[in-house]
Amino acid sequence: MNRRSSLPYTFLIPTVALLAILALTPTIYALNVSFTDRTLFSSSSNYIGFENYIDLLSDRRFVNSAYVSLKWEIMTVTTTMIMAVGLGVLMFECASPKMRNLYCLIFLIPVLLPRVCAAFVWKFAFHPLYGIVTYPYRAITGQPLDLLADPTTALMVVGFVDVWQWGFFFAVIIVKLLESLPPQPIEAARLDNAKPWQIHFYVTIPMLKAPLISLALVKAIESLRSFDLIYVMTRGGPGIATETLDMYAFSQGFIEAGKIGYASSIAVIMLLTTIITFTIIWKRVNK
Amino acid sequence: MITRFLGKSLLVFCAACVLVPLLWTLMNAFKVNADLLTPVPQFFFDPTFENITYVLSRQSVFGALYNSLIICLSAVGLGLVLGLPAAYAIARNPNRITQEIQFFVLSLRFLPPVAVAIPFMVIWLNLGMYDTRWSMIITYSLITISITIWLSIPGFQQVPKEIEEAARVDGYGPYAVFAKVALPVAMKSLLGALAFSFVLVWNEFMLALMLTTSDAKTLPIVASEMSQQGLNVPWGILNAAVVLLSIPPLLLLGLLSSFLNRSFAQKNR
Repeated sequence: MNRRSSLPYTFLIPTVALLAILALTPTIYALNVSFTDRTLFSSSSNYIGFENYIDLLSDRRFVNSAYVSLKWEIMTVTTTMIMAVGLGVLMFECASPKMRNLYCLIFLIPVLLPRVCAAFVWKFAFHPLYGIVTYPYRAITGQPLDLLADPTTALMVVGFVDVWQWGFFFAVIIVKLLESLPPQPIEAARLDNAKPWQIHFYVTIPMLKAPLISLALVKAIESLRSFDLIYVMTRGGPGIATETLDMYAFSQGFIEAGKIGYASSIAVIMLLTTIITFTIIWKRVNK
Repeated sequence: MITRFLGKSLLVFCAACVLVPLLWTLMNAFKVNADLLTPVPQFFFDPTFENITYVLSRQSVFGALYNSLIICLSAVGLGLVLGLPAAYAIARNPNRITQEIQFFVLSLRFLPPVAVAIPFMVIWLNLGMYDTRWSMIITYSLITISITIWLSIPGFQQVPKEIEEAARVDGYGPYAVFAKVALPVAMKSLLGALAFSFVLVWNEFMLALMLTTSDAKTLPIVASEMSQQGLNVPWGILNAAVVLLSIPPLLLLGLLSSFLNRSFAQKNR
């Protein structure tokens, strides 16, 4: 590339400037509002220092939602990765290349569906009286089965839908990664009479360590966007059993109290936690 | 032999886990409530077009469909105009600054949607632009531009440098090389990247929920509101709305699948 060309500057400066404005303005704004007692109903507000943050520490619902969010992250990331690796290896071993392409196409569908749609599809499938998933239980026991109304299972059902969307997608990526590996180590292991699961456990999966970690990180980032699923399926209920941080911020700011200042302080805490955590991890992984 | 058979059946089962719920939803969109709300699932029924016609005849659905199309296509357009050149500049000038820019673009995805939605709501209210298509387009362009940049950098890197050199020898300036050589050669991967950004904003829910109330409502919001009409959830209508909302992303399935294939096939070499 011609070093004296103006192209990099004209191509990069406007875009980066626009992105910076679009990203920094709301961030600074959120920080600013989080130090006020602004509400939805009046546009005047006073600066109250760190009061919102101090209130958060003694707010049990906030502590609960932080715990639910953490559970959600761990649960969805680990299940997605386990399912994706298992299914990816299964496709690699058991399906002919032609069938593999067909499966890849099918397994790509769930992640493309709008999350609102996925949520409704499964909400009806888990319907206590008419759902197709709960039908066997009803047929055997004659009792309705309401998993979404039970505090111990509600989060798992929502998590199941999330894994349904992402697990199949990641399985497709993993099968493509397996196909891109050099065949010699696999052949060598096969000549040593290694069983298929041994080959993958000891040879291919370790070779794919770096991309698998990146995938897990991508999933962790995408798992932060759980709001639509939870909003449609449970609205944070029953009680506050599935109330994640974004759900709680939303209900504080918009549904119950209209306390935008308070909601902003929750948003700021989420923002700082995710940016710091993911920046550190990402930089370390991609060194 | 037996394990192979078991493996194959497991794969068929997994495919069924994807397809059966979707086909079931499609079927339910053509059922009247009496066939839909039965303790035993009904596989045979008289199909009705009531739900579909009800959904399509609603003013709110039509308005939302129009809004969704205008907002998403404009945001993708902005992603194209601003994102593709930036991606090209990053791909062709690998150095510390562009590396930092690339990470900055990626880190925009770390922003929790609530942390963006709440301040944007206050900002658009203050500017008098709350609940307008313009405010939604600008908000969504944050998503489309960053995703387009991130996904089209590999596409531009795959354009052989020799072709660009040859064009330069023929007297093309750097801008002409971009427009007449790099863009057409990388076109297929770029289309995939743009399709991905379209699906992301088409499916987006939380920002639209907080930033619109009536005029600029998008289709996911209107679809989710259908469950709130009265005490009895109109499941047939809801299923029809779900089907309508899912069609555009599924139409892009082939394009996105070949985009995935291409990006992984390249790593092979």
